[in-house]
Amino acid sequence: MSVHTTPPVPEPSTTARRRWPIPYGLAGLAAFALLAEAVPRLGIVPERHLPPFSRIMTALAGELHAPGFWPAVRDTVTAWSAGLGLAATAGVLVGVLIGSVPVLRDLTASTIEFLRPIPSVALIPLAVLLYGTRLPSSLLLIVYASFWPVLLQVLAGIRDIDPVAAATARSYRLGPLARLRYLQWPTTLPYAVTGLRLSASIALVLAVTAELVIGAPGLGKRIATAQISGAVPQMYALIVVTGLLGLAVNLAARAAERRVLHWHQSVRAEPAGAR
Amino acid sequence: MNRNRLRPYLAVLTTLTLAVATLTACGGDDAEGGPDKVTVGVIPIVDVAPIYLGQQQGFFASRGIELSLEAGQGGSATVSGVLSGEFQFGFSNVTSLLLAAGEGVPLKVVANGVASTGEQGADFSAVMVKGDSPIQGPADLAGKTVAVNTLRNIGETTVRESIRKAGGDPTAVEFTELGFPQMAASLDAGDIDAAWVVEPFVSTITAAGGRPVAWNYADAAPDLTVALYFTSTRLATENPDLAARFTAAVNESLTYASATPDAVREILGTYTQIGADIRAAMVLPEWPTEINRASIETLLALGKTDGIITTDPDLDALLP
Repeated sequence: MSVHTTPPVPEPSTTARRRWPIPYGLAGLAAFALLAEAVPRLGIVPERHLPPFSRIMTALAGELHAPGFWPAVRDTVTAWSAGLGLAATAGVLVGVLIGSVPVLRDLTASTIEFLRPIPSVALIPLAVLLYGTRLPSSLLLIVYASFWPVLLQVLAGIRDIDPVAAATARSYRLGPLARLRYLQWPTTLPYAVTGLRLSASIALVLAVTAELVIGAPGLGKRIATAQISGAVPQMYALIVVTGLLGLAVNLAARAAERRVLHWHQSVRAEPAGAR
Repeated sequence: MNRNRLRPYLAVLTTLTLAVATLTACGGDDAEGGPDKVTVGVIPIVDVAPIYLGQQQGFFASRGIELSLEAGQGGSATVSGVLSGEFQFGFSNVTSLLLAAGEGVPLKVVANGVASTGEQGADFSAVMVKGDSPIQGPADLAGKTVAVNTLRNIGETTVRESIRKAGGDPTAVEFTELGFPQMAASLDAGDIDAAWVVEPFVSTITAAGGRPVAWNYADAAPDLTVALYFTSTRLATENPDLAARFTAAVNESLTYASATPDAVREILGTYTQIGADIRAAMVLPEWPTEINRASIETLLALGKTDGIITTDPDLDALLP
């Protein structure tokens, strides 16, 4: 039993309420594919600069068998997951610490707002200087960019603790650990999970960017090689792969959200009432 | 070739890297017993095909070198990688090396990299225009916008030299920076009047109806040395034996590549994504083992004339 009262939902998951989410989603993709086929075919953009979607798909099929493709996917996923893991852990720990101590919150507020908008890619020279073109370079960029959403969400979550619940916790003389478990944790978790979902996409964008610009191993580097080889369909095929990875990341993040927040009203309010 | 996207940071990077390299002073690791592990910073382009071939043929392994090739964006990233010890050797174009050496960056050339064929009409570097462009020859480039992959580098000086030799005004041309892969589209869109490209883009733009108007590498100097393999001065002095073995292995690779163009076209398919049809048709560069010092002096003179190189590098210290 938690002392927790229902908080405002940061970003309610609506997917669960839609009747036919997958077919609608597929229809959207199909429409996009049609457009991507038509634009070059109609000569709106020259075919040699933007190949029709079907040619990109043929190139994609070729890529799947190319040596070096799957290692590149693995490298990107490794960088993404390691970066996201570090950012999420750091974001939650720092967020709970700062959020629980009002003095710290006041001290850091302007610093956070100063650091947060700095684009991660501006740190590329620093990353290259420290780590060259290896994985830690990517990690630096990924962690820097995806740390903030988690941190801010956790801070918002802690600020959102119901004063009545907090007073109740005091009345029951809950210790620090029990307060963390029954007061802060249930209120903050939905926020943290939203932050994590935002960060998951950001981390992927930065992973590919780092590979593309710095040359760290992964899909981005393969895109750069395709570019410099003048292999236009292959380049777009790889870009499609990054898009698919992003889709997978988002689906996984939503699934994880439903699982972790199965007790929360945003998830529980679905008709099936899965629990 | 200096196709790097980090160029704006070159000065800052090299300075900082130097500081870090000096502070940490982590030399190339000498493996005890087993082969020397050597990482070389290269660019995934045709120029470095010999070293991939040499790796495949065992020219490095037979000299006790366990070679791994790190294909990146080139330019300052390669130079700072070599200085920091991430790479033991690197591949860079001559003008970039002259610029770095002029700034006092401690580099030492160990082997020839790639050279122009020197032939008008059959080189791996050219200035391309659209098929219906009014530009007919190098002299017509004066007053026009020409894209180069890196401003104030080898592309600029050699294109200016083409214009100069054709009797045009080399100062009247306007350069704009664009990655090689983006040039064809820019040319089509009319954003630029001409584009300096290297293979495979000479072939792909020609196939799309483009036309070469200047052969800038062939114009700049006879048998121009375009790029070189280099290391840090520290590695060269502390481990001359490794440097010598690397030089010998690269030279054997260059000779092998020159003798077997078919093997070159085949290995290109492994580390680049150049299509098989282009690979079969594209013009290959030359891979002599001898560094053409006269052509490097010419590039230095051109760089100074065009105001790109301001401080004289010590050529005797830079070149072997």
